[in-house]
Amino acid sequence: MRISPAGRATMRRMTLPLLVMLSIAMIIIGKADQMVVESAANWLMDATAPTLEMLSRPAAALDVAVDRARGFVTVYEENARLKEENERLLGWQQAALKLSSENAQLRDLLKLAPGPEISYVTARVIADSGGAYARSVIIDAGRENGVARGQAAVTGNGLVGRISETGRRAARVLLITDLNSRVPVIVDGVGQRAILVGDNSERPSLRYMEEGATVRIGDKIVTSGQGGVFPPGLPVGVVAGFDSGVPRVEAYAALTRVDYLRLLDYGLANALPNPLPLAPRVSKRTEPLVGATTARR
Amino acid sequence: MPRSAVPTPSDAAAMPWARLLPVATTAFALLLSIQPVHLAGYAALAPAFTLMTVYHWTIYRPDLLPPLILFAIGAIQDLISGETPGVTALLLLLTRPILLSVRRHFVGRPFPFVWAGFTLLTGGAMLFFWALQSLLAGQLIEFRSVIFRGVLTVSIFPVASFILGRSQRALMGVS
Repeated sequence: MRISPAGRATMRRMTLPLLVMLSIAMIIIGKADQMVVESAANWLMDATAPTLEMLSRPAAALDVAVDRARGFVTVYEENARLKEENERLLGWQQAALKLSSENAQLRDLLKLAPGPEISYVTARVIADSGGAYARSVIIDAGRENGVARGQAAVTGNGLVGRISETGRRAARVLLITDLNSRVPVIVDGVGQRAILVGDNSERPSLRYMEEGATVRIGDKIVTSGQGGVFPPGLPVGVVAGFDSGVPRVEAYAALTRVDYLRLLDYGLANALPNPLPLAPRVSKRTEPLVGATTARR
Repeated sequence: MPRSAVPTPSDAAAMPWARLLPVATTAFALLLSIQPVHLAGYAALAPAFTLMTVYHWTIYRPDLLPPLILFAIGAIQDLISGETPGVTALLLLLTRPILLSVRRHFVGRPFPFVWAGFTLLTGGAMLFFWALQSLLAGQLIEFRSVIFRGVLTVSIFPVASFILGRSQRALMGVS
């Protein structure tokens, strides 16, 4: 089909308005139907993961170099601090060992079924969300590595978020500070249940507590396991302040400096509604899932 | 022909692959914007690198950064960074006719003019982002981080402009 020069010029002029309409359509479809967006995003994530990983290494190396330089400057104070922390931790280790054996004895007494076996996958953060309105990171492990939606992501310090999307080689972690993050938590020791609600700020808030509930600065927050989305007992953070009466939580995990994190699989992988059929997953677990074992009495 | 006409492909680079410079730099800006940087609060304040390259090239060589590329880069940025897909694409697309209509005021002018123009564009872009995201979320998004982000973007622009200008002159000759 031969197009006249005038026709070609018209087509060229129409490109921009057409693309604008396409963008608006994308926005509307994206809001209305998450599945389409997700599969496209996952495909893109898989495609760019190797490049992102390669590119993030210089930045990570720079981080290490800066840290090392900083370390040289503060080596004396750091040494003193570490000695003190070491002593404190040794004390905790003793306590933990005692509690552990006590626990084992009590469980035996009650003939309790063994808890769910935990398997975990370690992954590295290769991309940060560049958006001002989303708090998520991309990690370099996907379905091929045993990652599934709903798995909790933690660092050594505490909860970081959960897996919201998985590609084959990469996955997205929704941080607890994200606008869409809702984590059922409980105030340790007090027993007050609440929901940790993210709003894209540095400190998520505690909401949906009972009437008359009192929460104090310094209260420790852990996951409650309600709803079966997050495993119970994961350390989340401490109440650090109040914002017009709403308590704000300072997370234990350094959310802005996450480099490596662990994904916990308690067999809750299907807790999040998954509209797409999961690809057959290569199981890296050696222990049985909690659903597969029956209580042994 | 009026001086504000878009330069035609016939007066393009000495080296044929230099025509890819606008696309390449914009793609690189995209990759920069999603690097994990371990500074507190960085993600919210990350400068809009893609906006800088789009501004520069639409002013100086709009023929080499067509709407289709703007749409693709914007869509990819949205999908990778977890934003609502289409938002950045729409923003980049809308900047094109605006910039094309005023580019004659900036071509050949000294840098402070160009910077001032970019400041206006960034202001508009941040406002657009905030309004659109607030609309989509059904609630007013925090405005303070938007302002900080805009300020940071405008502050870093001279560096980007310098790099882009130098590479443009080196690979394409004087525009």
